[in-house]
Amino acid sequence: MKRVEIKLNISAVAPLLDVIKQAADDLRGNLAIRATFPENDEEFNETWTSELLAGQNSDVRELLGLFGSEFFAEGSIAIDSHNSDSLLRGCSALRIQILTHWLQGIPADLLEEEDVPPEAIADEVRVPFAAYTFLDQVQKIILEHLDPTAAEA
Amino acid sequence: MGETKTKKTPRAAKAPASQRAEVWRVVVLNDPVNRMSYVVMVLRRVFGFAEERARKHMLEIHEQGRSVLWSGTREQAEAYVFALQQWHLTAVVQPEPAA
Repeated sequence: MKRVEIKLNISAVAPLLDVIKQAADDLRGNLAIRATFPENDEEFNETWTSELLAGQNSDVRELLGLFGSEFFAEGSIAIDSHNSDSLLRGCSALRIQILTHWLQGIPADLLEEEDVPPEAIADEVRVPFAAYTFLDQVQKIILEHLDPTAAEA
Repeated sequence: MGETKTKKTPRAAKAPASQRAEVWRVVVLNDPVNRMSYVVMVLRRVFGFAEERARKHMLEIHEQGRSVLWSGTREQAEAYVFALQQWHLTAVVQPEPAA
């Protein structure tokens, strides 16, 4: 089983966790992306939504679980092929929520850049932007090191 | 949620016969968040595409705003859309336009 351990700076990551936890709270009863339904059937659509929501909540919990007491003791998170899918989806859901809640005013091209200078981002959204970027980097590491489809390419 | 399995769509096959007989498309729309390598990975997982084909669709989504990923029965199209929404891609089922 492949396993990646990521060493992080606790004091740099801790403030980002406040944003990530708030985004996770916001997502508890809401889908990150509004579902589009193939049927015009209320009961079916409710089932569709509740199953997506259950999966989303499970993925987000898995991600938050990385940043428990062990992280604050050791300063590292461990990702393996058992939790990588959940973490990829959890990062995606949280990034969408952070964008929706805090970063709507930031131009799309800036959001896609990897090395944005801090002064390009307004003070009040620097921490959410850093959380957004941090989750992107976690996803990138997973995709580079643990994506089984990449290994076949 | 399971780690790698694709959940079955919650839908029971109950569309009218006239709808079941049509051909339906799975369309993925562009979004400003998910990185390109993530989208390629999801398309490979959900549809079993080779890297090159997944990348072609990803670029189409990125540059044209949408890509038709698959067409076939309504029930299978719904299952694909559900799986794509689990990965937080914006996906819709649409009837194939009449020839």
